[in-house]
Amino acid sequence: MEIGIRSFFLGLVCTLLSFSLFAQLSEQESEQETEQSVIQPSVERRDINEANIDSENFEFGMLVGVISIEDFSSSMVLGVRAAYHINEDFFVEATYGQAEAGETSFEVLSGGAPFLTEAERDYRYYNVSLGYNLNGETFFSDRWVFNSATYITLGTGSTEFGGDERFTLSLGAGYRLLLTDFFALHINMKDHLFNSELIGEEKTTHNIEYGLGATFFF
Amino acid sequence: MLLRSTQKYFNFIKSGLGIWLTLLFITIPALADEIVQVQITQPYIELHSGPAGGFPVIHVAAKKEWLTVLKRRTNWFKVETNKGVQGWVKQEALHLTQSSTGEAVKLADGSFESFAQRDVEFGALGGSFEGVPSMTVFADWVATENLIAGISVTQALGNLSENQFFLVRVQHTAFPEWRLSPYVTLGAGKIRTKPRANLVQSGDETRTSDLLAAGLGLRYYIAQNFILKLEYQHLQALTDRDENEDLEQWKLGFAVFF
Repeated sequence: MEIGIRSFFLGLVCTLLSFSLFAQLSEQESEQETEQSVIQPSVERRDINEANIDSENFEFGMLVGVISIEDFSSSMVLGVRAAYHINEDFFVEATYGQAEAGETSFEVLSGGAPFLTEAERDYRYYNVSLGYNLNGETFFSDRWVFNSATYITLGTGSTEFGGDERFTLSLGAGYRLLLTDFFALHINMKDHLFNSELIGEEKTTHNIEYGLGATFFF
Repeated sequence: MLLRSTQKYFNFIKSGLGIWLTLLFITIPALADEIVQVQITQPYIELHSGPAGGFPVIHVAAKKEWLTVLKRRTNWFKVETNKGVQGWVKQEALHLTQSSTGEAVKLADGSFESFAQRDVEFGALGGSFEGVPSMTVFADWVATENLIAGISVTQALGNLSENQFFLVRVQHTAFPEWRLSPYVTLGAGKIRTKPRANLVQSGDETRTSDLLAAGLGLRYYIAQNFILKLEYQHLQALTDRDENEDLEQWKLGFAVFF
């Protein structure tokens, strides 16, 4: 019984103390607040800061596809793609890709000595292109609509193949489907033109690549 | 062989993934920035479904309405109205709004004034190096309004040889306030010349020499953050042979500045 009364009073004291402590604290806080509100108002200025607007003009991603290397059959190509969007119509694009060339028909049929060594069969290219967007929307259904663009590109670069690097002209066309504002899927086709004399006399070769890509805007 | 190429592709993908992750970490803090809100001061602003003029108008926001600016792509801004409608407005439309302090919104970019305040330039030029097609990329740092320092890398691929060179350059313009302005440039670097594979038998081999360059150019501020550049360069390769090699290059291209 006595313990019960004692603990009741202890509880009462604790509660009262904590109340008064709380009151004190909140009083201090409100004092601080009033002090702040005396100083603050004229300082509260928020102008538009361009740096606070998230700008997404760069596009970066990877691509995978098939490239038909003239005279050397077709191979898988893997690459990276970076683009800078100048305005709603134009963009600059840089791509790098690599593939491993197969054998010529002659090598396969004759079973003779290969034209190129293993290292020389590595096909690498880069190019810098200017692209033009034909902006539009793609309607998968009435309510399922995505922004998209068909684009054409024209660029120059270099191709390393058969132990040489060659000046390369690249003509491309592609389709970009924006699944969100910052993620896009690409279907693209590109023709890489360069002069080569790997098979006898010099000629202009067309190396057509097509593939899929995925890019992020940031 | 298959294993080797698979391994190679795997490494390639791995390095690509690394870059993406890094980018992700860079973009996360950017998301934490404070919200930008503007109030429409003109009768109305049109919201398009995409960041280009061709996209249809999907909503019209009225005067006094507040718009939250979410992001930007080129000259288009993605905004959200109080009612939660999202759309894209062009920069000129955003100039029809005011900030919370009542000041008219005026973004500084896309003007000749912003060009004068640029810090860096990046660009690509194409042209002719000793009659052979050449490609150059460069990165420049704008030290003062007259002086620019930078590096450039050029590749020129001919029928007889492949040339690659880099230059550390300084560029000076006497008239930075002109829209079309001439400049002079000086540089030093190294050049690597590799004869074509089918000519190796003739006794030539890959050689590297020091390179000095002097050039004259014109730069023209087009619009937004774009510059057009035309440059003539005279280069001298300091070879081991009795005579130094004189080379010349013409190039035309564009640059973006930030």
